[in-house]
Amino acid sequence: MATHLAPKRWRRLAVAVLLYLGAVSLGAGSAWWVLRQANWSGSMVKVGPWAGSTLAGSTDADMYTRAKVALEGLLALGRDETMYYMARQDNAGRPLRSDCSYRVEGLPPPARWWSITAYAEDFFLFDAPNRQYSLNGSTARLDARGRFALVTGHRAVDALHWLPTPGQRGLVLTLRLYNPAPELQAAPARLQPPSIQAIGACP
Amino acid sequence: MRSWTTSQRLWFYRGLTLLATAILVHLLVVWATPRLIMNRLMNGPAAQAMAMRNQAAFPPAVDASARRVVMPSPDLLYSVCVFDVSAGPVRVRANPGLPSYWSIALYAANSDNFFVLNDRQAGAKPVDLWLVSEGPNPRDPAVPPGARVVVSPSAQGFLLMRVLTADYEAEKAVVEPARRTLQCSPGGA
Repeated sequence: MATHLAPKRWRRLAVAVLLYLGAVSLGAGSAWWVLRQANWSGSMVKVGPWAGSTLAGSTDADMYTRAKVALEGLLALGRDETMYYMARQDNAGRPLRSDCSYRVEGLPPPARWWSITAYAEDFFLFDAPNRQYSLNGSTARLDARGRFALVTGHRAVDALHWLPTPGQRGLVLTLRLYNPAPELQAAPARLQPPSIQAIGACP
Repeated sequence: MRSWTTSQRLWFYRGLTLLATAILVHLLVVWATPRLIMNRLMNGPAAQAMAMRNQAAFPPAVDASARRVVMPSPDLLYSVCVFDVSAGPVRVRANPGLPSYWSIALYAANSDNFFVLNDRQAGAKPVDLWLVSEGPNPRDPAVPPGARVVVSPSAQGFLLMRVLTADYEAEKAVVEPARRTLQCSPGGA
């Protein structure tokens, strides 16, 4: 009985193993890219710098939406209960950064209650010195035009509500709408999106 | 037409196998991702430490140290329970009695939110839900007539109660007792 494979067979076996590992890497890598990097999805709605999934938390979600939501917004509620919009860029299309300052301004969205929260790029809260993580429908002060405004960054600006974002990291803003108006539930793209404008130069 | 050599045929089949394997692995990773994340949430070390299987648990208010679940909302006070209906129904009761928003949401093992009840829908009545598995379960004790039954699409799932608190420190005396009315118990115990 032969106990050794011929060199040619060894080579073939090695090529097969390498190809197989390559295929596994390709499959896993493409899944990672689709879930972590790709910005497209059939259920995504984009409104200004904000984007939200119409199927987040829904039992109708396709497997890509379900996986993406599990990674970026696990335990989301369906849009009849809560709608979520996320912003990773400012109005000029530049990626949001924690070491830049942004002014976020808009009309209170049509919902029973709403909030805007600042997260780092890993979707967890910043270690904000004063535990100021969000602006919400209860804490927002509206100006004469009925608009709210907040500022993010390393320093407070004027008397605006400040969400400290320490460090030099990516920044993600999340707008939550609890019990949104039926018109918005039916047409999520009709949100009047809060604007996100960079203040001053960004390092 | 020239037929393929053995070597060409071999490389063709290798290529085909590579493509099929890559597609299968891709689909498997996408399919498994939410299930693995939910499994870790429900059965991981943190869940074990909190002893929340068929029992309500009350994590502290959200701050920057909350790193179990992505995108924790600092404006909500969370209460949790991992329900397991494989051995019989699980009864969920709560009576927060708050004028502001609260909700009880149920998630299947694949992360789908298959049920939610908020304060407006509950009205003035206390919440009393019986979670049961799909299909008949001979070990189920009789669910009381008229009880509100919710069928869970998976044997195990996650309950998340949200209580709105715009200023936890100021509202602590009200929202803490309110959320601790949540009960999650097996077999109607």
